[in-house]
Amino acid sequence: MNVEIAGVTRRFGRTQAVAGVDLEAGPGVFGLVGPNGAGKTTLLRMLATVIPPSSGRLRLLGRDPGGYGGRRQIRRRLGYLPQNLGYYPGFTVAEFVEYFALLKEMPPGQVPGAVAAAVERVDLGGKARSKLRTLSGGMLRRAGIAQAIVNEPDLLLLDEPTAGLDPEQRVAFRALLRDLAQRATVIVSTHLVEDVGAACSEVAVMDTGRIVFHGTPDELTARAEGTDAAGDSPLERGYSAVLAAARSVAGARS
Amino acid sequence: MTAATAPARPAPPRARRVTPAAGPVRLLRIELRRSPMLWLLPLLAVLFYVSTYRPAMGNPPFWNIRSAMVQSHTMLVFAPLLAGAGAWTGSRDGRRGMGDLVGVTAVPRWAGQFATWAAATIWAELLYLGGVGVLYGVTAQQGAWGGPPWWPVAVGVAVVAASCALGFAAGVRLPGRFTAGLAALVVFLALAGGAFAIQDNQVYGQIWPLNVQGPFPPDSYGIFYPYLPDLAIAQLMFLAGLAAAALGALGLPAAAGGRWLRGAAAAVTVAGLAAAGTATGLAGTARVEAHGMVIPALHDAASDRPARYTPVCRPGTVPVCLQPAYRSFMPEVNAALGPLLGQLAGLPVAPVRVTQVAVTTVQSTPGNGINFGGPVIRGRPAVLYLPLAGVSLPGEGHTSAAQFAWFLRDQYAQEIVNELVGLPAGAVAIGLNQVGNPGHAAQFAVARALDQVLNLTGPPPPNDSSAPGPAGGDNAGSAPTGRSGRAGPGGTASDASSSPGQMQDAVDRFAAMSVAARHAWLGTHLAALRAGRIALSEIP
Repeated sequence: MNVEIAGVTRRFGRTQAVAGVDLEAGPGVFGLVGPNGAGKTTLLRMLATVIPPSSGRLRLLGRDPGGYGGRRQIRRRLGYLPQNLGYYPGFTVAEFVEYFALLKEMPPGQVPGAVAAAVERVDLGGKARSKLRTLSGGMLRRAGIAQAIVNEPDLLLLDEPTAGLDPEQRVAFRALLRDLAQRATVIVSTHLVEDVGAACSEVAVMDTGRIVFHGTPDELTARAEGTDAAGDSPLERGYSAVLAAARSVAGARS
Repeated sequence: MTAATAPARPAPPRARRVTPAAGPVRLLRIELRRSPMLWLLPLLAVLFYVSTYRPAMGNPPFWNIRSAMVQSHTMLVFAPLLAGAGAWTGSRDGRRGMGDLVGVTAVPRWAGQFATWAAATIWAELLYLGGVGVLYGVTAQQGAWGGPPWWPVAVGVAVVAASCALGFAAGVRLPGRFTAGLAALVVFLALAGGAFAIQDNQVYGQIWPLNVQGPFPPDSYGIFYPYLPDLAIAQLMFLAGLAAAALGALGLPAAAGGRWLRGAAAAVTVAGLAAAGTATGLAGTARVEAHGMVIPALHDAASDRPARYTPVCRPGTVPVCLQPAYRSFMPEVNAALGPLLGQLAGLPVAPVRVTQVAVTTVQSTPGNGINFGGPVIRGRPAVLYLPLAGVSLPGEGHTSAAQFAWFLRDQYAQEIVNELVGLPAGAVAIGLNQVGNPGHAAQFAVARALDQVLNLTGPPPPNDSSAPGPAGGDNAGSAPTGRSGRAGPGGTASDASSSPGQMQDAVDRFAAMSVAARHAWLGTHLAALRAGRIALSEIP
């Protein structure tokens, strides 16, 4: 398993963003869905070693990210696309991707080829020499994806990766995810349920810091059966049903 | 996205030899290409021209004058700007929301930050050294004597690095769009505060990075003796320490790297602070000596050996020999002192030769000031030792050749006359009444008559405001000692046995004599006059 987490919590002052999550994930595309404030981004940031958990056990790629050595090893094999992607406006696309390839300690000899391949895979080959400040929002997102995949990561964490992509690019992106997931664990945090249905082999629904559902997209769809959950697609109705059930249980407890 | 058509994996690694340093070097190359400092370079170039190059070219081609400018003038404008640019560079990740992304890479964040700082600093250093190179190249072409002093340049290089480092650290710690301006302002105020500190406190304030040689004017050192690097060494320690502490502190947070790396960062920070503190302490022991600032713990005795040179001499009744750096000022020196020396030639204690010396005496004064002694006559046969330290040279600070000659006549020639007739140092200033020796009245009358005859006390040339006093610049000292004019007959120059009228009569009588008669009288009576045995009434 590339991702093993047990009883992980994360607090920000009095706010508990993640409240005891257990999760295991191997190669494949893992979708993380949930409403705003459910704790998806916090969980992803913990998986990306940006922040440590407040409690619980976390193992990534077979290593403990608590120690610097293990964390460094993980980071070499990690790809991460944050929700709010910053960028250096003066860098070209190729420089931006190369910069992160070097920061990920890729062997320098492999960097040029890896950069060219990553840029091509996100369909920015024609813009490789363009400054980032000249790109559209969707193109910037693709440049962000390129830097995340440049090191052929074994663990790829993508926070709202399809935000800003046009429908054609979104379809191509899902194909890319499936391709990457042949070898790596790809965790995609999204609020677009259709992305999950199209690309994910597993899905987890988060609400108020907890995972309230973990299964396949088909299993999520099946949760809508016999309910009057709202949604434009079967998967959306399943998602709504899961959330409604979780909230009714939580309401009954309180 | 082209998952279906694009290669599933990046191209296989090319079979080429990669050196271990290739990664950091490539990282640095990207940072160099995209450093915000590049945008500042044209402005820095213009500022270098305005603050340093143009004023330097307005001064005579002396290495010491021009090298002082590349430390004090350049850094006064560079340091605040570079601190601001450093802060802008350092705050880049924070301003751009890149914290998460660069924070989860395998390369320690500290190393990445170091590359960013290094790129900005390299550009600033290249521009600075390029400017210095042009300035030094032109100075060499202008025939400056000797070689360029590199210590001020080294201090300038350290100021650039330290300014960038301090600003960078501020930018990393407080990322925001106003950090750059604040960093520039703080560094500017620190430099301005240093200027005040050095005036109030001669001790630790000497570490001030714009301070070249304490109170010594730039043209008063590094010619007759090697440039004393003591203060520069302390400043280098101080600046390197500040830079190390600022950069080291960036490696202290947990996110900066592993335990060893953070330990190293802590060691660098502590070492930097220790170096800066030690340097400040050393600067506190700096003292004014004859040829520059000396810090005993750093002083190399080899620096006290005089520099070798062959004097440039102008033959004549009384030959005048100058240090070759001053070769071009020979006409002015001759025009100023020639008539007096001609009048005095052959007299028993009159100088048979004029030799330029570094200084005759040096005395520090409160408020980081300095006094240089004037010319002295010594030895048998007598030699006039002529110091030009601290005197504004033609071309220095808008001083004209006529003003320089006037200064030599008005100040130095009078001092020579004073010394020749035996007036005690300071007699004119404190008043003869208090000297109490009636013989000084005759000495005074003869001296004043010679002033009159030789026109030593004429009005200064036009543009009096820029008449040459001691050399200008950041470290200008006060006027050489004994350089006050002689008071009139009704002033302090009278004693108990003579009235102002009697004094003026004696002056007029002696001035009215023919050159030959005056010379003859001095030849027979100079020894008695110097001994104070001639009364006012005995002056023919």
